[in-house]
Parts: sequence; structure tokens; C-alpha cells
Amino acid sequence: MLDEPTRILIAAAICWLNFMTVDLIFKLPESGGVSGATAIAQEVEKGGGALNGGYMMGNIVSSPDASAGTLLASCGVFCAGFFGGLFAAVLVYVGNRICYDPGYAGTTGCITATFIVYGAMQVGFAASDFIAGMVIAILTIQGISYVHASRLVARLWSVRCRWLRGCR
Amino acid sequence: MVACTALAFIGMAAAILERDPFDKLISLSVMIGGIFPFIVDRGYLDVVTATALIAPLSTIFILMVCRRQQA
Amino acid sequence: MPVAEGMPVIAIYVCAVIAVYAALRVILQRNTMRKLPFLNVMSFAVTGIIALLLPHPITIAAAAAYFVGSTLESNAIASTWAGGIKKDE
Repeated sequence: MLDEPTRILIAAAICWLNFMTVDLIFKLPESGGVSGATAIAQEVEKGGGALNGGYMMGNIVSSPDASAGTLLASCGVFCAGFFGGLFAAVLVYVGNRICYDPGYAGTTGCITATFIVYGAMQVGFAASDFIAGMVIAILTIQGISYVHASRLVARLWSVRCRWLRGCR
Repeated sequence: MVACTALAFIGMAAAILERDPFDKLISLSVMIGGIFPFIVDRGYLDVVTATALIAPLSTIFILMVCRRQQA
Repeated sequence: MPVAEGMPVIAIYVCAVIAVYAALRVILQRNTMRKLPFLNVMSFAVTGIIALLLPHPITIAAAAAYFVGSTLESNAIASTWAGGIKKDE
């Protein structure tokens, strides 16, 4: 099978697509969930980024969403197999409720990520690749440059608005 | 492990150097995050869980004090 | 550190390097609100390190507790910061 760095990069791409799709479906870039997320979005916009991307970054910071669900699902599959991922989904839901969030995005992302990681393990990936890949994926969204990342998220958000109605 | 030591020391240095109370709290949470892998490496999973639950609560109490001073 | 059979060494290195990088970015960023995304990256990386170091069923609970705690912490910091600004105006 492939080398470990190659598998980590492929897993990073898969995780990125997974949590971005789930977050966009559950309308995370539409508005700030709590007042802290709104404050982060306004600061990001003041620094030259886009407002909708800032909302998404603020929501990721202030409550466990689909990205946290993906990470904890791969941790669960790595530690305890398939049912560990489902148990991680329960924990993500509890964590969402602690942070005053409805918790649909995190739980859905966790369950889909559990199936994705478990399916990829049958093909030849290891679950640890998905943990490192998810860390790389969150680094590309929040860690490199908030200006470019928020503009990218805002562009994806406008594409999603064009395809599916119901946002603003 | 070397990286985790670096994490703890970076957080400590930043906590000494920062002036704003919010920046100081953020540096403190960096320092706490650097400590966790050492506890996990020894295998004390219950200690990790308890510490991970207690640390944010203490931060929230300090935040209440900050807000009281600002208001 | 005893290296077990089939332990994902490269994954741990990736997580550790990203954690140190995010911590440096947290220190170098001057704006308080813009520090929080980098802090979130660091907590993702530390959660990955926790899970990768010790594969045991209770590790899921520990990693989830650390992540939820860190998220709650940054949530409280951001909310208090926003509330303080509103009171000043």
C-alpha cells in the first residue's frame, strides 16, 4: 500500500471535504451562533477578510462543529473500532450542548466521518492517518492566513447559496 | 515530547510577558495544553479527564472577575 | 518513550510540529480575537497527540473532555470580550 505521508495527505483532503460539506449544509457561515463568534467575525472582517468566512471561523472556535466531529470520530475509530466512533458522536453532542449550540452539525459530521474512516480502513488506510490529516485540514482553514481562508469560505458559501436556496 | 516541552515553555514565557488579561488567559491555556501529553504518556487517563474538565472552569471564574472589574 | 509495534510515529510528529507552530502564531499575533483560531488549531493538535499516544478506549473520553473544555474556554473568553465591548459603548 501507499507510504504513510502520502496516506496522511490523502486523508487530509478527505477530511477537508467532509467537514466543509457538512458545515456548509448546516449553514455555519450564515451567522454567528454565540456573541463570541460574532465578535471574531467582525475582527476578521476588520483585518481584511470576508464576513461569512469569519462567522464560520468563529463558530468553529466557539463550539465543536463538524471538524471536531471528524477529529473525535477518527480518534474513536483509532482507539476502539467502529463503536468508538459512534460513542465519540455522543460525546460531541454533549459538548455541543455544553457550549449552547444546537449540535446538529457536529453530530452529523461525526457520524459521517465514522463511516468514512471505517470504510477507508477496509481499503488500507490507518485511522491515525485521519487524525493527522484532520489536524492538517484545520491548519489550512484557521492556521495559515485568516484573510485568504475566510475569502475561500465566503466563495464556497456563495456557491452553496446558488445551488441550494434558503439562505438569506 | 520535546515539542510538548516547547509548548509549555512558550506558554509560560508568553504568560509572563503579556499585559492584557485576556492575552494572559490565552497564554495560560497554551501552557496547560502543553502539559496534557505528559500526563497521557504516563497512562493516567482519569487524571487527564478530570484536569481537562477543571481547567476551563477555573478560566471561567477568572473571566467573571475580569468582567466585574470592567463593568 | 517506548515505541510500540506499528505506532504511527509520523502522525505524532505532524501533530507536534503543528502544535508548536500554532503556539508561535498565538504568541506573535497581537489582536486578542484573532488569537483564538490559532489557539483552536493548537487544541486540535494536542487532542490528536493525546489520542495517538495511548490507544485505549477511555482515551476517547479524555480527548473529548480536553477538546470540549478548550472550546468552552475560548467560547467564554470571546463572549466575555464581546460583552465588555458592548458595555463600554
